[in-house]
Order: sequence, then C-alpha cells, then structure tokens
Amino acid sequence: MKVKLWGTRGSVPSPGPETIRYGGNTSCVGVTLSDGSLLALDAGTGIRNLGLSLPDEPTRLHILLTHLHLDHIQGLVFFAPAFRPQTEIVIWGPASPEASLRDRIARYISAPLSPVEVRELPCDVSFRHTPEAEWEIGSARIRAASVAHRGPTLGYRIDDGDSSLAYIPDHEPALGADIETLEEDWISGFALARDASLLIHDGQYADPEYPDHLGWGHSSLSHALAFARRTGAERTVLFHHDPLNSDEQLDRLGEEARERWLASGGAAERLELGVEGAEYEPRPQSSPPTAAVRAI
Amino acid sequence: MSSVSQRPLELILARNLMSALSTPAFLVDEGGLLVFYNEAAGMLLGKRFEEVGTVGPDEWGSMFGPFDGSGEPIPYDELPLVVAVRNGRPAHAGFEIRSTDGARHTVEASAFPILTAHGTRGAIAVFWPCAQDGAGPSSNGAAAR
Repeated sequence: MKVKLWGTRGSVPSPGPETIRYGGNTSCVGVTLSDGSLLALDAGTGIRNLGLSLPDEPTRLHILLTHLHLDHIQGLVFFAPAFRPQTEIVIWGPASPEASLRDRIARYISAPLSPVEVRELPCDVSFRHTPEAEWEIGSARIRAASVAHRGPTLGYRIDDGDSSLAYIPDHEPALGADIETLEEDWISGFALARDASLLIHDGQYADPEYPDHLGWGHSSLSHALAFARRTGAERTVLFHHDPLNSDEQLDRLGEEARERWLASGGAAERLELGVEGAEYEPRPQSSPPTAAVRAI
Repeated sequence: MSSVSQRPLELILARNLMSALSTPAFLVDEGGLLVFYNEAAGMLLGKRFEEVGTVGPDEWGSMFGPFDGSGEPIPYDELPLVVAVRNGRPAHAGFEIRSTDGARHTVEASAFPILTAHGTRGAIAVFWPCAQDGAGPSSNGAAAR
C-alpha cells in the first residue's frame, strides 16, 4: 500500500507563499493498494492534482468520503478523470436520514454552485452508502465507522496485507470526555486506529486555540497526541491544518508536538505534521505498541 | 484488522452529554445492558457507576427496583427504558426506586430510543426525582406509556 497526501489543509483552501511548504489544498489522500487498486480518501481541492497525476486511460477508482463538508468534496468537479467516459468512479460516504448520498452531493454539483450537474458527468459514477460491516476493495478490507464531528462523519480503516491505514481527518474525540482516562471502547474512532501502521488524524488546533473552538469537531494537539498514544499507531501524521496557520506557525506546532511526544516516551520518527506531497508506505507494527508511553 | 470492540458513536456521544448533566440519566445498549449512568443518577441510587459497572437487566432490576405504588416490582418489560429500546418508541412512567441505603425515591422517568441509520443502538432514560410534598408520579406507579 502506498499513500500520498494531496491536500492537508482543513476548512478552506489557503494557497499563498505563507502556506507553500505544508500546502494549501484541502483534504485528499491518495492510496494505491498492493494490487494496484486506486482509492482517494476525501475529495477536497487536493484531488485536483491527484486527478492530473493519473494517466489518461481507462481507470476505475473509489472515492471514500468521510463527510460532505465542502473542504472534503470541493475538488470533485475539478477531478479530471470524472470528465472521461472511460473512467469508472465509485463514491462511498455516510448515510443520512435526510437524503441519499447522491442527492446530498448533487447539492454541490448543481446550479448555481457548479456549471455541471451530476447527471452530466461523462464518467460512470455511482454512489454507495458505506456498509456497517467491513467490505473489500481490491486487495484491501475497508471499514468505516462514525466518529465525533459535526454531522454524519466517518473514519476509515484500510487493511492491505499486513499493513493498515487509519484515516480520521475531522475528529473531536475528547468532546465532553477525558480522553486520557476514558475506557478504550468509549473513545470515538479507537477501533479504527488501534495499532494501525499509519494513522492520519485531525490535528487542527494548538491547545490555546481549542477552547474557542469547542464542539467544532476538531482536535487540539493534546487530544491528537493522546489519541495517537492510546491507539498505539505505528506512525501518526497530524492533518487538517487550520487555514489560519502559516508554515512558520505549523513549524512551531510541529516542534511542540515532537517535544511532547518525546517527553512522553514516544519515538521521534513516529509523529509528524502532514505535508502536501508527502508519501508513505505503511509497514506492519515493528515494535511493541506505544501503550507504555506516558501521558503527555 | 483491529479486533477491538467499539461502542457506537451515538452511545459515546450520549454518555458524554449525560456526564455533563445534573439530571439523573441512564444509558442502555441495544441489548438492554445498562452501560452507563451519570453522577446524578449515582447520587440517587447511592452507588457510582464505576462501582457497579455494566450490568444486565436482571441485575439492575434487582438492585434498584423499580416498584409500583403498592411496592410491587414493576415487570421488566414495562420499564420505560425497555419499552424504548425494544419497541423503538419513547415511554414514560412514574415509580419508586430503592437506593443502596434502602431509601425509596419516587421518580418520573422518560426514555427514548437512540435510532441511527443502522437501527436502534440503545436508549436513554432521564429520571426526575419527585418532591416529597405530594407531587408524586402522575401515574402513581403505572407502567410505561
């Protein structure tokens, strides 16, 4: 399994010289499974460049949406393969009692917000609600589960051979709870991330920023570090950077994260901030889980 | 694939909310197991949830009652929480419960199911202790309605 970050930003695209290193595109992660199957996790503006990287030939790919906030679907109408008749796209996402996945996405891909309608897309596109049980795509087993965020929101776990990826970009696991002391089965998203080879997780707010954003559906640095430590992920990438944070601010946030991670007994190479364009090959757990790491 | 069990998010969020309430509140899962009650409920019962832990319906029934107006145990199937989780509809009743020190408390209880895209995940019941000034349960021990 190969993983590439195409968009690491949260909330709204934030291009400019001050965000050029960590990137300004919103959430999108490309995954190439061991059998060659292609997945896109979310379709923020980062999916535009993912699409441009794909060869102009018959392609089948799956887009796994965590939720339908604009920063996770905005790139759909700029995804070049969607405008090729030879492309087959399966879009997975959370069910809602309000309307089907297709109808909810069509609110964005329709006038006046979009020049094209879903029915006008030349590709073969289908929409599927994620099942409650795990299912298979190519060589991977996929599991989706609801996680704490605003509105119906999923996290995903992708197991391909011995390696695994957990993707929980929008997540507030400590809302109304003490994540340090809560029992594991009562922590939102825990089973998805448990002992994952690679965890891509919400790290939007520095601790001082969090109190003004309580209940907005995102993690503080402390919460993200605690979640990573308790789940025992082999490697954690903090993701969904706040659009107001410049590269310099993210450097400082990353430095604080590393210092606290090291102070808690974590290994430096197991934690980093997500950078647009970064690539990973998740490996199976190579050492005991970090359950013994001290509280941060 | 990770084999750790996971509570449904709806139960997790319900527990988080209940933890912040000063109203006694109880949470059961889809199988009727009592999986949480808050501090206010613990004060009413005389025992914190952490001391009790997850218990089945037979256990929590025998521990705390409830009893009708004549002191008879209310059948399990007629309790608001059970009606809510089994029938998928809200239910309300007034009855007495017994705390660990033997004291009886008159309460009104309202329960509602936690419905999700994947069906009923459990139910929440909120207990409203009645003042001892004659403002007892409106149904005086009636089963859930």
